[in-house]
Amino acid sequence: MVRVRAPEEAATERRPATAAGLPQTTARREQARARYPDSTGFVERDGVRVFYEVYGTGEPTVLMLPTWSIVHGRIWKMQIADLARRNRVVTFDPRGNGRSDRPSTADAYAESEFAADALAVMDATATRRAVLVTLSMGAQRGLLLASDHSERVAGAVFIGPALALQAVIPGREPVDTFMDHLDTDEGWAKYNAQFWRRDYRAFLEFFFSQCFNEAHSTKPTDDAVGWGLETDAETLIVTDIAPGIGDRDAILARIARVHCPVLVIHGRDDAIRPHAHGEELASASGGRLITIEGGGHIPNSRDPVKVNLAIREFIRGLAGGS
Amino acid sequence: MVTASRTSADHALAGASDGTRARQPTRTGLAAGPDGVRIAWEEFGTGSPTILLLPSTPIVHSRQWKAQIHFLSRRWRVIAFDGRGNGRSDRPTDPTAYHDDRIVEDIATVMDATGTERAVLVGLCVDGVWRAIRLAAEDPGRVLGIVAFSIGVPRLAPPMPHYATAGKTFEDELPTSDGWAKYNRHHWLRDYADFARFFFSEMTTEPHSTKAIDDAAAWAVDGSVDVMLAEHEAELPFDLEAVEARCRAVTCPMLLVHGTEDRCQSISRAHRLAEITGAPLVVVEGANHMIPGRHPVLANLLIRDFVRGLDPASRVEGFR
Repeated sequence: MVRVRAPEEAATERRPATAAGLPQTTARREQARARYPDSTGFVERDGVRVFYEVYGTGEPTVLMLPTWSIVHGRIWKMQIADLARRNRVVTFDPRGNGRSDRPSTADAYAESEFAADALAVMDATATRRAVLVTLSMGAQRGLLLASDHSERVAGAVFIGPALALQAVIPGREPVDTFMDHLDTDEGWAKYNAQFWRRDYRAFLEFFFSQCFNEAHSTKPTDDAVGWGLETDAETLIVTDIAPGIGDRDAILARIARVHCPVLVIHGRDDAIRPHAHGEELASASGGRLITIEGGGHIPNSRDPVKVNLAIREFIRGLAGGS
Repeated sequence: MVTASRTSADHALAGASDGTRARQPTRTGLAAGPDGVRIAWEEFGTGSPTILLLPSTPIVHSRQWKAQIHFLSRRWRVIAFDGRGNGRSDRPTDPTAYHDDRIVEDIATVMDATGTERAVLVGLCVDGVWRAIRLAAEDPGRVLGIVAFSIGVPRLAPPMPHYATAGKTFEDELPTSDGWAKYNRHHWLRDYADFARFFFSEMTTEPHSTKAIDDAAAWAVDGSVDVMLAEHEAELPFDLEAVEARCRAVTCPMLLVHGTEDRCQSISRAHRLAEITGAPLVVVEGANHMIPGRHPVLANLLIRDFVRGLDPASRVEGFR
């Protein structure tokens, strides 16, 4: 593990006096977060460094897993400060974005690699067990951890889970033309490696407009596009063709091996992953389903109060019930 | 297994800190005013008219507009600046540096430095509203309109009772630091962060405001207690009559927005300003002082509609 300077220390400015010679105090940093981490560091596996942050104290630890590398750990910005008032919160940037490295092969982005990163971060932060909170693709690595490493998982929250379960959203049927040169870039045809190479930003703007289909979503949309621009098309292409966790049968077999309490939060109007997937995950795992009426794919950004209260109540229930 | 691994440093964006803003500025600069204090400004986007987001007191800095900048700069040129005493601006600790005239000059200094002849001013509380009114009254050619949140025009009505009470004992060593007793020189020097948390909890009493409170308290800690003490000593060189005369002299369009639960500025000040100027007043039920931060959609739509109203030609289809 390598300790790094916290961002605020890195941004320190020193000014002895104003230009006019008036005495003055000095700035420490640009404040851009409600709460800065109490400690940060890197874990390294197979030469790939992954950056993590730790906030606050209080059991149980909440491990916010990264989702698809199109964004990084700041996707949890509306959760961190609130949850860290009561619990220790650990986040990490996915390989492929943020301050983590960007390996160039698809195998390096296998779901099993993200799960192994999570275990390495837990080890590095002396986290024996944690409540996992996942978003979208994070459900896959979360499911690997909850099924294969149940002793380390006190509970699991799945927000807008991206699992290959039943039902698809019309217009979003699985296609295998991802690497092809298409004669259109209308709508979901933008979900295509060649288009990403042509106009990565346009893809990001389209994709997040679909994620945030609620009214008045300019801020989370612009935030997410900015995070997407911190990585690039080639990196995102290899994440897309990386090995997943199998088909519906394999996923259901894993869900059957999950014994911790489960909470699923799914937007009724999720345009990326159908609400039916959340329903199936909840019923197969015996977990609770909370539906955000009118909600899209990323309710933790767009409806943070509802999501934070649901996570808080879930954590409270773990303490009471165990 | 991994053949090549680029490091995150390879991908660090020039000028981007750590992915914490929805929109990065297109230009930044430091502008020195008549007294030499340097003011840090940022410019976002293009499109006329320019919208100038004013600082409030040095208890916060320009990130107070974080929920407005990305939205307004989709259509218009937006300029924000850190008020003297916080953020990246200079931080003089001499009370004379916080004289009313200096704060008004800073607005003009930033407009000059950014080549902004005229702008729509958007402000909150005393530094944002009273100083905008002064510039509009004293140099009307530079101000196209004012959107004023949480009407901080001193003297128009008495200060809130907790300020009046705490103000009397500001210099005293008190036996308690409970509640508004934290509004006290000695408590600030002992535990300024505690005051900041208390203050913004008082200013953001709407349910579910932890993020807004934590953000603002962190901006306060970015600043310094020495600056706050210096600013506290600066006096307002205007009596009620002079304040009202300035308000009456404003000829540009103005929109007033005030919450019914505002614990910093009495709503009587908003009603009185509306009476004097004839400006429309939007009363936000249940809102406290920090309307742009806590009610961003409402604030953004009010600003958008106000700016559109200044020039019907600026209407754009599909602008959300």
